[in-house]
Amino acid sequence: MTPNAIEIHDLHRSFGAVRAVEGLSLTIGKGESVAVLGPNGAGKSATIAMLLGLLAPDAGSVAVWGMPPGEAVARGHIAAMLQEGGLMPGVKVAELVGFVRGLYPDPLPLDRVLEAAGLTALAGRHVDKLSGGQTQRVRFALALAGNPSILVLDEPTAGMDVESRRAFWTSMRAEAAAGRTVLFATHYLEEADDNAGRIVVVDRGRIVADGPATEIKAAAGGRTIRFSLAGGPSAGLEALPPA
Amino acid sequence: MITYLRLEVLRVIRNSRYLFLSLVTPVGFYLLFSSLFGSQPAEGLKQSVQLMVSMAAYGAIGAVLFATGPRVAAERGSGWLRQLRTTPLPAGKVIAAKVLAAMALGFPAVVLMSLTAALAHSVRLTAGEWAAFIALTTLGTAPFAMLGLMIGYLADGDSSYSLTLAAWFVLPAIGGLWMPLSILPKALRTIGHVLPTNRLGDLGWRIAAGHAPSASSGLILAGWTAALAVLAAWSYRRASVRDS
Repeated sequence: MTPNAIEIHDLHRSFGAVRAVEGLSLTIGKGESVAVLGPNGAGKSATIAMLLGLLAPDAGSVAVWGMPPGEAVARGHIAAMLQEGGLMPGVKVAELVGFVRGLYPDPLPLDRVLEAAGLTALAGRHVDKLSGGQTQRVRFALALAGNPSILVLDEPTAGMDVESRRAFWTSMRAEAAAGRTVLFATHYLEEADDNAGRIVVVDRGRIVADGPATEIKAAAGGRTIRFSLAGGPSAGLEALPPA
Repeated sequence: MITYLRLEVLRVIRNSRYLFLSLVTPVGFYLLFSSLFGSQPAEGLKQSVQLMVSMAAYGAIGAVLFATGPRVAAERGSGWLRQLRTTPLPAGKVIAAKVLAAMALGFPAVVLMSLTAALAHSVRLTAGEWAAFIALTTLGTAPFAMLGLMIGYLADGDSSYSLTLAAWFVLPAIGGLWMPLSILPKALRTIGHVLPTNRLGDLGWRIAAGHAPSASSGLILAGWTAALAVLAAWSYRRASVRDS
């Protein structure tokens, strides 16, 4: 039987008194595109760190491509674009991407990676001289370079302008369409809805909703706020922002 | 790992601060001191030869310390080392490449100092002595690579820079690279004698005087390397927990 891409079972992790992840379970099949949606501090990044073997769980289990995370990383099954993943200083874009792809057993061609990340024109640029959005594109290139079966992206569009965002998601959807399993964390419902088939909503370290994007959006969009005027005047209510 | 090693060396060479600190500074000091004290013999060697060895060691130590301490701290801060941990390159190889790259960067400092001494003060050694001096002074920087790693994993950004600079000043000063140990107070002299800076100088001084390098200096340097490697490993583990 082929294993799932990702199997997380009853995961727990605390940092001192803060319970970052509290009983999170999640199974992702091969080829799925899943958005993990939640506010800051919901446990998204901690979960991703455990998925990559960067952080050991307090309790629970994680399997990536049917094996422990560290092994899946070593074999190149999973690669990530981390929120706080820096770049090697003092080298050029093509040197850096070329070096990272060389670490993998079955990498993508360098030209293909640079093109997918929109970096072809910046190949000879020093990484220290890139804008925030360009830096994000290099991080995307590093994640993609090894031709991983699973691509993990932690808030990938942070710091990108509108145009870069659009180009980024177009590339990302192409990678997903080519059969890659994609898991990305975001706190924008719109990004999740536009780019994932399935949305998992995380809050306070556990999953509070999980389903097809349309379903989650309907549930989230249907939020109603009620309040009573308690006999007060209704004048001025029209100044409230529209729904 | 070879590619990584190559990049590690390349990016430091492109950094002008490296060139200035570890290449220009010792050469400048050499020319200054040798013209001030040129005719006085020191520790049985001509001053120009004794200083060449001291300043070559001083420069190589600086190159190695700056290629490790502040760089590792900066890479931890930027998240590059974390990103690297999500690739198949094992942590052990990352560290090994850093140590080798740092030591390789000490090499030009030793060569440049040798050339300066040969040209400015007609210092002459046999081909075998030059080779032994350059090779051993470069290899003997190993404990400083471990010290640099330790600083890089323990301290952050600015403080790693200050610590590195302090180490690069204090260890050579007490280790007899700046001035002969004989003029230091007795307590300091005893400490200075076993410091890796002094033992590294001792390798070169003996070779330049036409003797075989002493085995005890080699052993003391190896001991420092091993002890500092243990501390560096401990700092690495501490940083891995803290940074994740």
